[in-house]
Amino acid sequence: MTSGAEGNVRSVRAYVRSRGRAPRGLLDRYVSGFGLAMLLAVLGRPVSTVLTGLAGPVDPARMSAGAALVALALAGFLFAARTAGPVLLSPADASWLLLSPLNRRRLLARTGRVLIMVAVVAGAALGLGLLAVLGAPDQLVWRLLGALVLGVSAAVGGMALAVLGQASQSWQFWLTAAMVALLVLAVVAVSGQARTVLAVAASAPLTTVAASASTAAVVSALLVRRAWASLDRIPTRILLASSTRAGHVADAAVGLDPGALTWIAEENHWRARTLRSRRWPSLPAPLALAWQDWRRLARRPGRLAAMSGAAGLPVVLAQAGAGPAASGAVVLAGALAVAAAGVSGARWDRDNPALSRIVGVGHRPALAARALLPMVLSGAWATLALAGLSVSASLALAGLGAWASVGTAVPGAWSVGTAGLSAFSGGWWLFGPLVAPALAAGALRMAGRGPVDHSMPVIDTPGGAIPTGPLLWAATGADLAVLGCLPAIAALLSPPGALGWFLAAQGVFGALTLVGYAWRRGAGQAT
Amino acid sequence: MYDSIINVHDLTVDLGGNPVLRGMELTVSAGEIVAVVGPNGSGKSTLLRCLAGLQPAASGEVRVFGRAPADDAAFWREVALLGDEPAWYPGLTAREHLELVGAVHARARMTVESALEEFALVERADSVPLNLSTGQRQRLALAAALLRPSALLLLDEPERGLDAEFRARLAGLLGEYAAEGGTVVMATHDHGLAARARQVSPSGVVA
Repeated sequence: MTSGAEGNVRSVRAYVRSRGRAPRGLLDRYVSGFGLAMLLAVLGRPVSTVLTGLAGPVDPARMSAGAALVALALAGFLFAARTAGPVLLSPADASWLLLSPLNRRRLLARTGRVLIMVAVVAGAALGLGLLAVLGAPDQLVWRLLGALVLGVSAAVGGMALAVLGQASQSWQFWLTAAMVALLVLAVVAVSGQARTVLAVAASAPLTTVAASASTAAVVSALLVRRAWASLDRIPTRILLASSTRAGHVADAAVGLDPGALTWIAEENHWRARTLRSRRWPSLPAPLALAWQDWRRLARRPGRLAAMSGAAGLPVVLAQAGAGPAASGAVVLAGALAVAAAGVSGARWDRDNPALSRIVGVGHRPALAARALLPMVLSGAWATLALAGLSVSASLALAGLGAWASVGTAVPGAWSVGTAGLSAFSGGWWLFGPLVAPALAAGALRMAGRGPVDHSMPVIDTPGGAIPTGPLLWAATGADLAVLGCLPAIAALLSPPGALGWFLAAQGVFGALTLVGYAWRRGAGQAT
Repeated sequence: MYDSIINVHDLTVDLGGNPVLRGMELTVSAGEIVAVVGPNGSGKSTLLRCLAGLQPAASGEVRVFGRAPADDAAFWREVALLGDEPAWYPGLTAREHLELVGAVHARARMTVESALEEFALVERADSVPLNLSTGQRQRLALAAALLRPSALLLLDEPERGLDAEFRARLAGLLGEYAAEGGTVVMATHDHGLAARARQVSPSGVVA
């Protein structure tokens, strides 16, 4: 039965291939091989430089934050795998081959192989990250190998867990538990509680590293085996749903219309939710229209909690060694992303104005009312993030003072770890509310942009061709936010002694940016 | 006031080089119900888009309320357009969509409760529109268009997805709207709806 079914899958795929593009010839293989060789040649030197730089002990002040980032990266990988499916087929295969008597496991085998390859690449990156966090006091090659095996095992095992989660609810529970455990681990690491454990792990003898890597590889292999066996137990409706979703995502990617992804994500989320209607508050018309964004946000407390939790990321990055400019850039980018989460009503009306024409509110008042939520969100987020950096800076400076008071030289590693933070001592949090109007204007401009304009010219540069359409699309919104936050950016690039003038200038810049944008965009149209 | 709500004179529209409307003439008075009828591709939807200011004319003149239609807030306060299915706001229920429309317009034509009853949506009021059937979503869109106050209602195939019983009820609802002084222009293939209206054809031949 199996061999016959396998033969069927092969013959069906061969038939589809024969009707599609021409089979890969010698020239195609040569081009692929040459491309790979070029990639290795280009990446070889920087990668070997990075690897050589990993030799030696790591700054202990950065170890905790680095471990937290690695844990967050793995949790993010698992979350992405679960969101994607991860087992899915192309829309055509899902329509024609899934609902057929073909052997399901053989049909999904190709997807399984792709998933393993993706997990191996992600795991290698994780392993490198792990080594960068823990360092290699001796035997760089063996420690690198151990870290790679650990990283790949974690990613492949995690991917197998996600596949098992598709097939059964109990495995879904274990997948969620793994993600929660990684988040807890990140919090514990960033709080400094795991410093001793990390120090022990960093100086572990090679035999311990080998034993850990072997155990992880065995557990991962067992999970992969179970996941492979479960491929034919994944319910068809789940495969159809993930394949359809993947088809939409592929369409959006091929058409370079990332806005479509927002539609897909929102629609899928709300379709699955059970809601209870609540009375609309009695507000002036523009505010009544904008109220939907507030209500939508209140209905997603998980997203709100995740956004609040993410306000701690700049502190983690600063502790991991990021300079004030990089930490500040993360604060502004994060606040802009949070502001963008509060403008979906404007995005919806831009993409399909039919409902806004029925509502019939003027564009300018609607824009002004819709700026309130992104202002509140981005202002609160930036204030939280900057306050976190200021508090951490105060604690770091207090630590330096303690070293000095006992008459001991400050360890170099400690001073390096706190250098990025110390720039944030003082009233930096005041920038939070002051950058909010500019970020809200940027978020509204992002919501108002159309699909990518593919008719824009492609510029040839020595580094390769640059399509200006996607570039302009990506810059729309961020440009206005950067313009409106210029005083804050200037202060971050060269932290001044006194912030007063920068704060005053930021207040004026922010307000002018929002008012100017609402005025310019609001000429007459309905929302 | 205006002599007539809509004046279309010698309207010509080309789409992609193909003539869709040629020398169209149309005058609609307040309180009238006009059904634009004709086979697929005869230009019914194009005419409605011209009346809504969403389709530029190659030549000729379109005046709505005495001026050229413009896609601005002042125009949409007077005109309610229902064409293709609108993009429903994510995360809002059917009832909340109607509440939103009612909250924005100071003098709604009916309460949200009565709209839900009139359009047989009471039992699905807490559903997000995407979880409604095609006909229920069309009823919700019609409810939103008829709940808000307007002087002109432009409907493109309002019978889409509706069962026979509700089509008959819709004819009654449009009659009530016109009796209050409102004007209706609709493109339709439904004989029942067209029978209660003055019928015009985009090609100039009255059906």
